[in-house]
Amino acid sequence: MNDGPLIVQSDKTILLEVDHELATEARHAIAAFAELERAPEHVHSYRLTPLGLWNARAAGLDAEKVLDTLLRYSRFPVPHSLLLDVEETMSRYGRLRLEKDPQHGLVMRTDDYPVLEEVIRAKKIAPLLGPRIDGETVVVHSSQRGQLKQLLLKLGWPADDRAGYVDGTPHLISLIEEGWHLRPYQKLATENFWSGGSGVVVLPCGAGKTIVGAAAMATGCTTTLILVTNTVAARQWKDELLRRTSLTEDEIGEYSGSVKEVRPVTIATYQVLTTRRGGIYPHLELVDGHDWGLIIYDEVHLLPAPIFRMTADLQARRRLGLTATLVREDGREGEVFSLIGPKRYDAPWKDIEAQGYIAPADCVEVRVDLPRDERVAYAMAEDADKYRLCSTSETKTALVEQLVAAHAGEQLLVIGQYIDQLDEIGQRLDAPVIKGETSVRMRQKLFDAFRTGEINTLVVSKVANFSIDLPEASVAIQVSGSFGSRQEEAQRLGRLLRPKKDGRAARFYALVARDTLDQDFAAKRQRFLAEQGYAYRIMDAKDVGAAG
Amino acid sequence: MSLIRALSKDLEARSDDSLRALFAARPDLISPAAPDFAALAARASARVSVQRALERLNKPEMQVLEALHLCTNPDTGHGISAPGLKKAIAGATLTALEGILHRLEALALIHRCEPPPGTQPAGSRHRFYLPVGTLKDVVGIYPAGLGRSYTELVRLQPAFAQRVVQLVAELRRSGAGVPEAATPMEAALALQRWTSAPKDLDGILAGAPERTRALLDRFGSWAMGAVPQAQRMASISNEGPDVGPVDWLLARGLLVPLDASHVELPHSVGLALRGGMIVDHFTVEAPLPELGLTSALLRRNAALGAIAEALRILGELLAAVREQPLATLRTGGVGVRELKRLADRLRLETREAGLFLEIAALAGLLRLDVDSSTWIQPPGLEWLALPRQEQWLWVVNAWLASERAPSLVGQAVSTSAGHQGRPNSAGTSINALSGEAQRPDAPLIRRRVLEILQELTEEASAPDGRAPVLDARSVLERAEWSQPRMARRFSSLVPGILREAELLGLIGSGALTQLGAAIAAEEPDHALDILGEHLPAAVNHILLQADLTAVAPGYLAPGLGERLTLLADAEGQGPATIYRFSEASVRRALDAGQDAAAILQFLREHSATEVPQPLEYLVRDTASRHGRLRVASSASFIQSDDEAAISELLQETGAASLGLVRIAPTVLTSAASPRETARVLRELGLSPTVQEPEPAVVRYKRTAAATGSARPVYSAPRSAPAQDDVEAQLAVLRHRPGGAAETSGEAAAQLGLEALQRAIRLKQAVTMNVVDGDGNSNSETVVPVSVSGGRVRVFDPARDTERVLSIHRIVDVEPAAGQTARPASKGAE
Repeated sequence: MNDGPLIVQSDKTILLEVDHELATEARHAIAAFAELERAPEHVHSYRLTPLGLWNARAAGLDAEKVLDTLLRYSRFPVPHSLLLDVEETMSRYGRLRLEKDPQHGLVMRTDDYPVLEEVIRAKKIAPLLGPRIDGETVVVHSSQRGQLKQLLLKLGWPADDRAGYVDGTPHLISLIEEGWHLRPYQKLATENFWSGGSGVVVLPCGAGKTIVGAAAMATGCTTTLILVTNTVAARQWKDELLRRTSLTEDEIGEYSGSVKEVRPVTIATYQVLTTRRGGIYPHLELVDGHDWGLIIYDEVHLLPAPIFRMTADLQARRRLGLTATLVREDGREGEVFSLIGPKRYDAPWKDIEAQGYIAPADCVEVRVDLPRDERVAYAMAEDADKYRLCSTSETKTALVEQLVAAHAGEQLLVIGQYIDQLDEIGQRLDAPVIKGETSVRMRQKLFDAFRTGEINTLVVSKVANFSIDLPEASVAIQVSGSFGSRQEEAQRLGRLLRPKKDGRAARFYALVARDTLDQDFAAKRQRFLAEQGYAYRIMDAKDVGAAG
Repeated sequence: MSLIRALSKDLEARSDDSLRALFAARPDLISPAAPDFAALAARASARVSVQRALERLNKPEMQVLEALHLCTNPDTGHGISAPGLKKAIAGATLTALEGILHRLEALALIHRCEPPPGTQPAGSRHRFYLPVGTLKDVVGIYPAGLGRSYTELVRLQPAFAQRVVQLVAELRRSGAGVPEAATPMEAALALQRWTSAPKDLDGILAGAPERTRALLDRFGSWAMGAVPQAQRMASISNEGPDVGPVDWLLARGLLVPLDASHVELPHSVGLALRGGMIVDHFTVEAPLPELGLTSALLRRNAALGAIAEALRILGELLAAVREQPLATLRTGGVGVRELKRLADRLRLETREAGLFLEIAALAGLLRLDVDSSTWIQPPGLEWLALPRQEQWLWVVNAWLASERAPSLVGQAVSTSAGHQGRPNSAGTSINALSGEAQRPDAPLIRRRVLEILQELTEEASAPDGRAPVLDARSVLERAEWSQPRMARRFSSLVPGILREAELLGLIGSGALTQLGAAIAAEEPDHALDILGEHLPAAVNHILLQADLTAVAPGYLAPGLGERLTLLADAEGQGPATIYRFSEASVRRALDAGQDAAAILQFLREHSATEVPQPLEYLVRDTASRHGRLRVASSASFIQSDDEAAISELLQETGAASLGLVRIAPTVLTSAASPRETARVLRELGLSPTVQEPEPAVVRYKRTAAATGSARPVYSAPRSAPAQDDVEAQLAVLRHRPGGAAETSGEAAAQLGLEALQRAIRLKQAVTMNVVDGDGNSNSETVVPVSVSGGRVRVFDPARDTERVLSIHRIVDVEPAAGQTARPASKGAE
């Protein structure tokens, strides 16, 4: 066997030895069909999933190429059963095609008669289909295009949707590249998306997904609906579009809890669309009542279920999903695939890092010992209170002061979960606190002041720092962690800590109380951070002064 | 002249080479050595021997033999020649037939006879043949798949005999050209005449309902078939226009009911359907199935992948068994729950775990410990220390020779096995290492499957190195052709054998691999060379990462793997192993007596990269809080003043099962009881003294250790007898004075049996000398009725009764002087 950088495991993971001389070549080759699962420093692990393989098929890769790649770069013999499985799985994509027939409208076609027979006999699928035209063709109710694709995926026969899209109302949009340029990977991502029709572009945090969205709009020159996670993100999209494109303030509308504007380019939040009154979604009309030519889904991995349902009815419109990861904590990757579209572009994170566009942060976990009285209180507390008790330890407050002093002169954020603790820290540091009750206007003002350097230190609660872009922050201190998604956390981290102009690495401190629940949560977080390739260290509180 | 005597003369007249060929093809004839030609001829005619000989015939040979059987009558001496057979076998050439007849004659399954009187001189140029006498019993009731004649059916099926006269009458009324019949026998003959010409039968079937032809085609290769309510009253007189094909055929006697659910297609109808030919499809060449092809690269990849995986899993399995021996059920075998535990430990499916467990046991890597009724790894297992290619060969050799069928584990217990064993075991599945997976003919079938794989691969290989993909179906198809009488025994084992061969890398990507070919050609050294060259070497470094994992990028050197398993938990499945460190796993290592410094030292030594800070922190942090006093339990301790002896014992792999830990220069602790510890030490050739019941200490002195190898040596099951035996046999036969003049006891018994069977067929009386219970010999004249199971049923005309005699009491049998045939009416009863 050759001495390649890959080890293909029989449990369908692929290990990539990063320091191998062929590693870069091999990574490019497998990125097309395997999902990166973990990226610690020496050995990255990828996973072969049906969706990944179908994504590859949708991108024009065939099974033979995949097998060839595996055999070429593998150091050891590749488990034969896995090869068979890859071949079998890939051959399932595209056996069924959705096409536009000049006479019958939307039809489902196949070259493989038994597959069609199997599918039309499925109980849930039968009602979505119209009359059978011939052995290989059956009419599909055009309103059921999305639902059909979803069900076919569940049956394991993902359909190749070639039925095309409506053009939408034309609207001239162009990029204005003044003082910046579309990065090569952004250009490639846009081209891949447009030629593929609909689909998802996967770019790491901070790699400029918004710009890919803008470039797609400029390519299409059509009215666009942009769906984002929250209002702050909506404002950021608007700012970015104003800065990067020919669009003016009048052409961009915001459709959120407070403002309801519909303009050629409209930015709506998931929240407002999924607001229910009396069992109906009053704002859904925004989506299907207008002739959008392009719909952009920001942070596809956070897309809520009602949006999926709504998207099922929008299959005739071009859809662009933007995300840093296709892995969803709720396991709805299949719906992203069938309803928004297959993966159209995936930039290996390491490449973009190598090109200098993003940088990993230096993470430090500082372990503090609880003082005796707090330990006793913790030991005697009810289970429900334990986490709060240990994560709001007084010793942490003192440690924060010490760290802030050590990083004097740098732009610094303190992040926490418990408002009491944050208020106290704010007072001790004499820094403004942004929390849930802070108004949007006030938040914007404080963030702006932080960006310009008027304020050096900002204390923020978990609720307030959602989707904020603070490239200037170089140090973050997390005093109390969240129970929430680890994914979200790593993303937030990447967003907060962009590479600095002077090339200094950003630093992220997590303060953890030893021997408590806090430490258990931290261990999980750490593992995730390490798997994402963030270097991290563990320190004892007593060593902080020394390390500075 | 008796057939056996004739055969004896024939054998004696043969050349030595011809006899050698016969012995090679029918080794059972000379095992044990036959005293003379008469005995040899008797053995060659014995039912069991003929049966074995038929098992080795291929399809065309079998077809010719069956046709010959149907066309001849040994009792009247009516033989047949090649041209005669040609008329009964469609598509046969004279040359092919003569070749096959020659082979069958060489095998002593047929022998030459006089041409029938009145044969044209042109015909007499050809040789005429008769089959061996017992062929009739061995070939079964449906030779060539054809049914019995109407006369025989009338004789044996009373229900049909009762109905047949009326059936013929109804046929006549409906206008069919059937001769008139008054008795069942006449009716049978009438039906026979009506149906025997293919053209006439076509005429009859022209008026049949549709699908009748299709139905009859299903009887094409076998005369009996299942039909619901076979004994229904079907009659032409009350036939409606929408009559079904079964009713139609039954009403005309074209199908004859046998019992409530089976019918038979009578001989003349079957023959007419085949166009008057006994064999309607005849080819001398083996059919070559259409096979896909797979490249050499894929084949090698699959084989090496499978071998590396199999050896890794076997290694892990042994480690798991060392940790905790496998408990057995009271009824034998390893229970499902225990197997599940093992499967979880090995991260395998239960089915796969069962397969590997069987393979480990058949290779002697596991042993049933009788004291504890558990499966354990034998101490000092040599296999563990072998290079990997030799480990592989060890397992392959053991597998080839094993009488177990590992793939049967987990399958449902077949009803027949359940019937023999426990009556309530039906519906349960076969447990691993239980008696139900025992198949004594497994080595033979494995050998044969390898041969077939080799044949097919040679026949179908592409010039560019691609080899045919061989599935169970194509192997069975070839087995069916080359040994039709054995095919049924193949069918249950072949899929499992192929699956196991794939696990062992003999088959890769569905095709015979280079390794498999070497093993099939019995060149194990060649296989070792290939494997030694391509099997990746063991790695002795790991990659440590900040997410608290260690990746072993390949097969780890055994000692290293074991130590890592103590420190961290293994994850995943494949050539590389990922070990995950956690507080619990580090604590486990600390519990086993290691300290932080030693752990870190070990990691630094074997890591290709620096030890990441979080991992170092984890080890130190866990160690700092780990207890300083060490408490351990040990079932016994070993003390010796000889420090060197203690050190040596600690290194001894044979003592590994004791879990020895050195707690002082002269003291070892053992996890096993003093008795068990002493037993293992004794097995290692040491002689300890046991101090009990006081302190459980084992003292021992050094003595020379004697160890024997458990390595399996495989020799393929031989189909041919050893050269020496053949020569010795020839010497005995050729140098016996008198030859056939004296008849050995063995030949006499067979001759007696032959005389009895002939008398039964011809319904003739015989005179036999019978020894009674007191040892007195009496001469009796009786008509034998049937022979089976060492007993003969006779009709005694003197007393007009039937009796049963044991064959061993019969001294000799001769045709009765001046006897007359028994009345035919008796025979019909």
